[in-house]
Amino acid sequence: MAINVAKLESILQNLVTSTSDVQGAALVSPDGLALASTLPSGMDEERVAAMSAAMLSLGERIGSELVRGTIDRLYVEGDLGYGILTSCGEEAVLLVLADKKAKQGILMLEIKRVAIDLKKALS
Amino acid sequence: MEIMRLVVAGTVGAGKSTFIRTVSEIDVVDTDRRATDETAEIKHRTTVAMDFGRLTFGPNMALHIYGTPGQQRFDFMWDILIRKAHAFILLVAAHRPHEFRYARRILSYMNRRVQIPYIIGITHMDCEGAWSSENIKLALGFVDEKNQPPIVILNADERDTVIQAIVALVQYYISKV
Repeated sequence: MAINVAKLESILQNLVTSTSDVQGAALVSPDGLALASTLPSGMDEERVAAMSAAMLSLGERIGSELVRGTIDRLYVEGDLGYGILTSCGEEAVLLVLADKKAKQGILMLEIKRVAIDLKKALS
Repeated sequence: MEIMRLVVAGTVGAGKSTFIRTVSEIDVVDTDRRATDETAEIKHRTTVAMDFGRLTFGPNMALHIYGTPGQQRFDFMWDILIRKAHAFILLVAAHRPHEFRYARRILSYMNRRVQIPYIIGITHMDCEGAWSSENIKLALGFVDEKNQPPIVILNADERDTVIQAIVALVQYYISKV
């Protein structure tokens, strides 16, 4: 069955609009191509996709090389906010960008929930 | 122990990851993922962040060899890797002439950021439709006989030829500094 891109887009859109302090989200293939995204203006989708894939692959490599096991997620925490990468099944990587004010517990729960929806839409 | 950082750049499928796997003494740190773009026509898996290998070179030098992803969308990795490099080799597949222009673009990307010695490594010379090294040199824009980087022909699967390319790069680096 073909992937329902509109469905993916709407799941991401929903996450960004309904979760306060989430500024953007992107779903990309493990080799760094965008599948769907809702990003802050001025952020280039192609670049975001490639960076997400590079980051997750290195993170997973660090996980195995330094015996941290399977990687659940990667955090990039800056003074302006968070970038959180989660593997979304074999075929996709989810990136969520959030404001510094975001409550981390809510963020994690939302990401988990969205990842399940996305996996369903991808299969 | 002196450390020298080399970068292996080049077009998709030129043999960058193979190059590093062939000579590294340590288990190569690779980051390949299944290819889903036009890369898939050439190979199944593609590097998405970097490769890393190490090679002891003489009694007091260790080479740290970093491989870049080939696709332009990963050019932020080219930038990260090249800025710390002492020298680089640009790999070009001789049998895919339509990529020479792209190889040239990679070269100018690197040269805009750093002024470090580099050599050209030509791979896939034994494949059908391979161009001669003379013609590839012209296609890459090296018309003037002076100011030309050394050109080596290698097979990324054959350790001897890869070692020769590395020796050529290190020697060229030493002659330049």
